[in-house]
Amino acid sequence: MPIVELEKIRKVYDTKVAVEGLSLSIEQGTMFGLLGPNGSGKTSSIRMMIGMTVPDSGSVSLFGKPFDRKALHRVGYLPEERGLYKKMKVLDQLVFLGQLHGLSEATARSRSIAWCERVQITEAIEKKTEELSKGMQQKIQFIAALLHEPELIIMDEPFSGLDPVNAELLQDTLIDLRKEGKAVLFSTHRMDQVEKMCDAIALISRGKLVLSGSMREVKSSYPRNRVHVVFSGDDSFLKNAEVEEAKNYAGVAELKLHSEAGAQKVLAEAISRGTVIHRFEVKEPTLEEIFIERVRASFGDEEARGIVDA
Amino acid sequence: MHNIWLIAKREYTERIKTKGFLIATILIPLLMGGGLFGVATLAEKSKTTAHIAVVGTQPQLEADLKRELENGKNSKMTVDVLSASTEHAVLDREMANKLLDGYLVIVPAAVQGQRPTFDFTPRSTADLATSSAIEQALHRVLTREYLADKGVSETETAALLAPVTLNVLGKNGAHGNSRTSFLVAYVLFFLMYMVVLLYGMNVARSIIEEKTSRVFEVLLATIKPDELLAGKILGVGAVGLTQVAIWMVAAGLIAARLGATSGVQISMPQVVFFIVYFALGYALYSAVAAALGAMTNSEQELQQLNMFLMMPLFFSMLMLMPVVTNPNSLMSRIVSQIPFCAPLLMDLRISISMPQPWEIALSIGLILITIYAVLWVSSRIYRVGILMYGKKPNLPEILRWLKYS
Repeated sequence: MPIVELEKIRKVYDTKVAVEGLSLSIEQGTMFGLLGPNGSGKTSSIRMMIGMTVPDSGSVSLFGKPFDRKALHRVGYLPEERGLYKKMKVLDQLVFLGQLHGLSEATARSRSIAWCERVQITEAIEKKTEELSKGMQQKIQFIAALLHEPELIIMDEPFSGLDPVNAELLQDTLIDLRKEGKAVLFSTHRMDQVEKMCDAIALISRGKLVLSGSMREVKSSYPRNRVHVVFSGDDSFLKNAEVEEAKNYAGVAELKLHSEAGAQKVLAEAISRGTVIHRFEVKEPTLEEIFIERVRASFGDEEARGIVDA
Repeated sequence: MHNIWLIAKREYTERIKTKGFLIATILIPLLMGGGLFGVATLAEKSKTTAHIAVVGTQPQLEADLKRELENGKNSKMTVDVLSASTEHAVLDREMANKLLDGYLVIVPAAVQGQRPTFDFTPRSTADLATSSAIEQALHRVLTREYLADKGVSETETAALLAPVTLNVLGKNGAHGNSRTSFLVAYVLFFLMYMVVLLYGMNVARSIIEEKTSRVFEVLLATIKPDELLAGKILGVGAVGLTQVAIWMVAAGLIAARLGATSGVQISMPQVVFFIVYFALGYALYSAVAAALGAMTNSEQELQQLNMFLMMPLFFSMLMLMPVVTNPNSLMSRIVSQIPFCAPLLMDLRISISMPQPWEIALSIGLILITIYAVLWVSSRIYRVGILMYGKKPNLPEILRWLKYS
């Protein structure tokens, strides 16, 4: 049973199409990355998942049933734009938000304190929110989304604005939650985080799904045609017919080849020309490269269509 | 229901704890009391105290006038009676040196039995109080002289000129006091006016608070916009009621300490209706304020719209006098049914002269319906408005929002 299932949802604001025919499903116990450039419809899609806006067409199912507000007690949500009551004390705030999610006051209080310890902000408990640093406020909001032990955790850009230490702390927390069998969905621009953490991804651009599937599937659908070379001496091997594109940073080169088989030929030519090879690595494309390529392609299509329409 | 309660509770406890609440609770009655006391003292002191000179040739008339002006009902002037030979230039100089506020020249009529001419030269022509006091005094003096001429005795003249006392009786024939009942109505009116204005804006502000701090996105992930709005109105409303209750109890204690000497009596129905209309008016205006808050994204935008909250209140203010002077006229009966005016004007009518029961029932019904309608509209505006933030809505857009979801 998928925890979240979107079926061809579409949302139009005025004349702007925010989301167009988006379908995806998220299984229990997965870490799902929702990727896309700015303004691609990530936040709009997330808002439709939790019923803040209603799709113009298509359907949203949570926990195997058509969307119902009652299901929201099983969802934890961290919005992209953080917001807390500035003048309220941290603990009061967490208890209040916990109660809104259906917890009793006592439970909300004890869990808040436990969570503050877990993300190392115990000293903030008695302070007012406005006295805290931005990173701390973000951690508080992170806790607020998790207090009621949701089965589905939805986080819009959860690590933006955090220093590497804190970002890793929250990443590890999410990974632990995934291990407990919860479904986690988060959106981000940071491909390294996705590559490290996610089991499945969906890439959207201009409101449309460009790419989706498990991390393995996505990666294996691309040929291992990238080469990382560290060399000294003659660089004329970079002009080999197998090389589609080469970036040479004086002794370190990133190559993109026409086919996987081309790597051997390039290496052979380099050696035959007497170039000293320190390192020669054949790789699959990084998620970042896939991302950039697909997004560019989607924009290109749009522009092309625009010209045809005119 | 549970969510509304949680929202209201947070709103209430957070607001009660602020210093602003404490200050307003103490300061506002002090300022208002001080203001009322000041106005009363000023009114007492407004008897004209000008120093004038009277120049004439009829000693009897001048002496009478002097007595009237120095010890009259509305004046406490200083009057110098000078002989007719006094040069006007001298008087002008004294006036320029601020020793005199004006002088009156009495020129006897050429024909016997006609009135003399009175020429008053004040230092400032804007000093209306002095000239009208002189006018009244002259009238009385002349009347008295005329009667004395006709052989009417002095005691009879005094009796004739004594002011009339009109006893205004209540329905039960008791010796009512129209001034105090009017005063009570007036005070209640302004109390309601002020609290509605003050706390109505607070409701709007607290709704904007979620938008500027962007808390609403977390809240709306669990609760519905109408629950949020209802909770806000109840929570902020409870704060306002708490404040008024504190003032009322304090005023009651002070009144009890001072004893019944003030003669102000508030009847039980008056209190009950005040509370009912106060709560209704408060809820109605808060709902309107909530709609304003829902439409705007910042305090500045709210300032531009708050005239929509003020206008019905100002209108009620304008209607205050016509309703007080004629509480049962057709116009009073109509304006006191308008939901936005009813809380103030119907309550005013009740405390002055009890209207028909069906009128009261109708006005309450109309207010309740209006509250519901306004809330329904504002929760829709809120829901669509927050998700389309960034730009200010215009009227056609707001109308279109109403059709959404």
